[in-house]
Amino acid sequence: MNTERKGCRVKVSGYQMFWMISISSMIMFSYLPIKLAAEKAHQDSWISILLGSMIMMAVTWLILRVCKQNKEKTLVGFMKDLLGTLLGKIIVTVYFLHWFMQMSFLAKGTADFHNLVILHNTPMFVILFCLIVLVAYAVYKGGITAISRCAEIIGPFFVTVLYVQLFLNPQDMDMKRILPVYADSGWFSILEGAFRSFNYMVDPSIILMLFFFAENKQTVSRAILWGTAVAMGWGVLATLVVLFVTGPNLAAEMVYPVYSMTKFVSILNFVQNIDAFYIPLWIFGAFIKVSVCLFILSYGLSEWTGFKNWKLIGCIIAVIWLAFVIYSPHNIRISNTLKNMLLIGFFYPVVYIGIPLILWIIGSIKKHRRA
Amino acid sequence: MIRFVLLACVSLTLALISSGCTDFVEPNQLAGVLGTAIDHGEDGMIEVSHQIVIPSQLEGPSKGGGSGNSNPFLVMSATGQDVFQATQKIQFKMSRRLITNHRSIIAISEEYFRRNDVRKLFDKLFRDPANNLRDIIVLIKGSSAKEFIMLKHPIESLSSIGAAKELQINGMSGFSSRQFLIDSFLKGSRPLIPVLQIESLKRSPKKTDPTALLSGFAVLDHNLKIKGLLDVEEGSGALWMMGKGTYHGATVPWKNGIVSLRLTQLHRRISSAAGQDPKRIVLTVKAQAYLLENSSQRDMSEADNMVELQKGINEQIQKELQGTIDKVQRWGPDVFGIGEYLHRQNPYWWKSQEDDWDEKFKNIDVSVKADILLRSTGVSGAPLK
Repeated sequence: MNTERKGCRVKVSGYQMFWMISISSMIMFSYLPIKLAAEKAHQDSWISILLGSMIMMAVTWLILRVCKQNKEKTLVGFMKDLLGTLLGKIIVTVYFLHWFMQMSFLAKGTADFHNLVILHNTPMFVILFCLIVLVAYAVYKGGITAISRCAEIIGPFFVTVLYVQLFLNPQDMDMKRILPVYADSGWFSILEGAFRSFNYMVDPSIILMLFFFAENKQTVSRAILWGTAVAMGWGVLATLVVLFVTGPNLAAEMVYPVYSMTKFVSILNFVQNIDAFYIPLWIFGAFIKVSVCLFILSYGLSEWTGFKNWKLIGCIIAVIWLAFVIYSPHNIRISNTLKNMLLIGFFYPVVYIGIPLILWIIGSIKKHRRA
Repeated sequence: MIRFVLLACVSLTLALISSGCTDFVEPNQLAGVLGTAIDHGEDGMIEVSHQIVIPSQLEGPSKGGGSGNSNPFLVMSATGQDVFQATQKIQFKMSRRLITNHRSIIAISEEYFRRNDVRKLFDKLFRDPANNLRDIIVLIKGSSAKEFIMLKHPIESLSSIGAAKELQINGMSGFSSRQFLIDSFLKGSRPLIPVLQIESLKRSPKKTDPTALLSGFAVLDHNLKIKGLLDVEEGSGALWMMGKGTYHGATVPWKNGIVSLRLTQLHRRISSAAGQDPKRIVLTVKAQAYLLENSSQRDMSEADNMVELQKGINEQIQKELQGTIDKVQRWGPDVFGIGEYLHRQNPYWWKSQEDDWDEKFKNIDVSVKADILLRSTGVSGAPLK
């Protein structure tokens, strides 16, 4: 393998990949999509989420096809092969931008959430600094190996506890709250809900980079599909539970639905306020997701520029990233554009569906010609 | 060695920072708010009063519950344009940080309901993550809510805990502020909230104390305005018909005497009457009855008598509940959630009805059917002669 670099052993097992994918998808899912779907599709938002999940599963499958066609290279490498050096390099920057945005939205979301909920006086800088230094350290010291090992440890706790959380409100659940199915919203609203929310459920584009580091390509693609499926199943269940507990009108108002669910928990009037227990877990999840993004971003950039020391690039990005997240809140429009139609309607579909589809078609044609 | 020291320093600093030590407020710097009262203030202002526990005055079980003169709580109040501003004014007068995480009651005076838009009040409840949404919302009739939370409770250390326990122990659940928010968001259902009234209660030959007692339930319309009051008896019947009741007692006349029963396993079912006409609704209430008192001189171990009794209580309860429904229907607000039932059953028909449901509900034909199962007639057969 010619692209293998010093200090980065290309070894991520299927098991580790499963946890990495499921954590980073669930952390995304727990935040925005449920609200976006509920705003449009009300009590049918679970159908929207289900539809969105199916779209995302299909996208994951498509991206895996692309990866399998280009086993020996990362996204930057095979983009160059398929589209030519110049075009490939230009289009790959879209992904860099996307990962950077994901990183900053997540980091800012985490810091804001902590400031709002528990650490009222701690400056945002301190929270961010701790997170980013840790992430940069993990990436610098161990690269993908360290991240995947962390995911392996955190994953079982994270996934289990998040699933368990859904069943802690039995006394407040009323299944009738999702009725009547379909009649109120109609297919257009359901589709609109799916269209608005599917972009934020999972980020399959990270696979384009991660696949290259897999130990065994066959088992890893199965693990990735399973990881996505586990997260998607959780998402659909979580939406149903939110609807059961609060009904559609309240669900559409909740900015952090999964957090609110933990606030409602009251077991025997004794086990209450367990949200404090969940908050550290969400940080763990955010840590995995953000480190994966930082790793692929710095590794990709190193290939893009030809500058071999990707660790140094990682550190530089971390500094830029910290600065960006600290200064972006000064402009509310830059830091709160998640519901922007340009992003939802154009940017994400291109990143998730458009470009991978083109790559797949070109790859297939090339393969066909060679044969 | 140097490396180790450096590492230790860094991790210590990180541990201090990341554990949130910049923010820490020790438990002895906190003041727990257990009850909040909302009253009407002049000039569009709102008066907020917090009942705050004084931990050092709480009588522990070891002290033997001596009736000290000191209150285990204190009430602080202030007016403001909204809840936060008023609370902030209270905070300035406090030596400790107020926390509302463990609040058990929010009392709103009747006057506030009549003169203000209550919907505005609940934004803070839902937006601020410090609220738990498990607290109970009650309406205080006849006096200010502040007066209510200033009262002492004869048994519990705080009146707010007392009121919350009173409702819970008497099987009246489903009044949390979360439930209230859900109900008030729905188009086919209206909230019902408990009403407390201050009455003087004679506790010993010499002493008469004012105590807040449950005096009924308020029926609210879509804009959260009070449309009518039900007494406790009617209210608990209404709770049963809403599907929120958990315990109910019934005393009904039967065969030249009176019988009293404990009803458990309360359920209700709504269904459309024969045919597809959604305007004719049958509301079936179900329960299991245990006879606990009988002054009718009948031998209750006779199967014939049991059959008759079951028929008798069904008829009587049916009559009483029908009275409650007719009363609520005259006012308009659909606290029973019949609109929600119709919404689920006939969603397309509902679309033409959902606006102004309070008015349309008046013309719905709702009949109650009781389906009570007599499970036991107690541990004695014939009454003592």
